[in-house]
Amino acid sequence: MKYENRTIPEGINVSEEHPLKEFVILAFGLGAMTVLVVALLSFMAGWLVHLIPFSIEKSLSTSSFAASISDRVDLTKEQQRIESYLQQLADELVVAQQLPEGMDVVVHYVDDDTVNAFATLGGNLIMYRGLIERLPHENALAMLLSHEIAHIKQRAPIVALGRGVAVGLALASISGFGDSSMSQQLVGNVGLLTSLSFSRQQEDQADIEALQTLERYYGHTRGAESLFEVLNEGSNVFNPPEILSTHPVTQERIKRVDSFNEKSSELVPYKNLPDFLMKEFKTAN
Amino acid sequence: MNIDLYFFATLLVLGYFFGRMAEKKHFKSIIEREQKYQDVLTFNGRLLPPGMENSKAELVGGNVVISVDYFKRIAAGLRAIVGGRVTTYESLLERARREAILRMKEDAIAKGATMVVNVKLETASITKGQGQQIGSVEIYAYGTALSPMPVL
Amino acid sequence: MLVTNIEVIPGKQVTTHLGMVQGNTVRAKHAGRDIMAGLKNIFGGELVGYTELLQESREEATDRMVQQAKAIGANAVINVRYSTSSVTSGAAELFAYGTAVIIE
Repeated sequence: MKYENRTIPEGINVSEEHPLKEFVILAFGLGAMTVLVVALLSFMAGWLVHLIPFSIEKSLSTSSFAASISDRVDLTKEQQRIESYLQQLADELVVAQQLPEGMDVVVHYVDDDTVNAFATLGGNLIMYRGLIERLPHENALAMLLSHEIAHIKQRAPIVALGRGVAVGLALASISGFGDSSMSQQLVGNVGLLTSLSFSRQQEDQADIEALQTLERYYGHTRGAESLFEVLNEGSNVFNPPEILSTHPVTQERIKRVDSFNEKSSELVPYKNLPDFLMKEFKTAN
Repeated sequence: MNIDLYFFATLLVLGYFFGRMAEKKHFKSIIEREQKYQDVLTFNGRLLPPGMENSKAELVGGNVVISVDYFKRIAAGLRAIVGGRVTTYESLLERARREAILRMKEDAIAKGATMVVNVKLETASITKGQGQQIGSVEIYAYGTALSPMPVL
Repeated sequence: MLVTNIEVIPGKQVTTHLGMVQGNTVRAKHAGRDIMAGLKNIFGGELVGYTELLQESREEATDRMVQQAKAIGANAVINVRYSTSSVTSGAAELFAYGTAVIIE
């Protein structure tokens, strides 16, 4: 019997294939698949939530942050007056916008410098003093309100929530496999979706809807552009208003208002905001 | 979010280049040393080869802890989603195992042995159950070194 | 003390088998080494600190096994095996076992 060690050739246990090649194929393949799955899921979720009746959405929202944000601060008598004024205006716009039966809007006024306004679950509109006090006249305020009411009509908040939850769940289940640090980052970023940002398409639709509402309510759309002017002014400063992160002012939006304005040729004076509103804003500052 | 992404990409690129460089260098040195120590024979058999019955027997061993680089870890993470051969880890373990055997041979040479029989390899993952802290693997190679006894 | 991992001691006759002896040690790595290891985890490569740590621990386990063997009057340990397990996160158990024998 002979005992010897022979040299074993290289490359039997180790594949010679370039590691980058495998990495690129995997990364792009999985990336494409994730995008596809997420798109499909968000489409399906967006479609399915339309089947949820508005009344259920409303009962959902009582526990949501929409209620908590308005109950957090006790409104003074003057602030309650502002809220009821906003509510009244919103109710009239709801009629003008012809919202379906059973769909109504509740306005919550927040006495805060934050330049923001948004629609959330259950027909709740959150309006911050910071934005309202910058608006020059009622027409701009009506534009803002109708835009947010249009979101309620679209059911945009619950669609966004449904999508956020579906996508979040999908990514969380993927993250069960693979390297958890990477997927945690992904899931963490997608978590921002639940702050309910709506798609560009929904925003454009809401703009058109709002302009049509103004046409019905005032007989013209003049003054709507003031809202965008106010927002645009804010976009140049170092600390842009919060509303711009969800409602970017684009050239298209301004053009759209202009094209509506052309139709209403006669110059009608804008409606002023009520005096008590202006007085309250002055004391607040 | 962007900072996270840049950080991730930087680590990936750093891991790829340094890891690949280190791997190439390591393989080169392994092949060289395997050539150098090829006179020390290694066998898995537990029985003594004929003619070695009268040699001095001693336990020898060599170990190495080797770490994965960031690129390999991410590549393996991606691979774990689809399944299949994790080539990046294959080369890592191959390197570690051959290195451990070489160190065992060095130990044997230091003890004047010409042969190591009953070689056993033992693999331990240090970071088992530790999430994603540190990914590393230890390989320990050990066996009985036989040195021919001087004829008295 | 002769230690081998084969069943015989070459050129010697085993006169008495004394049964199994074992030695173990559980070692935790410390934070200083961990920081270096964390860095190495980006670039890859050998974790020298861990290699040394585990080698030391293994020697200690072997040592304890030999002590046991000595205590029962053996002068060799044959058929030695090593085993490693991670008991909790961050700590590893190193275990050595073999058969204590008396050779002439």
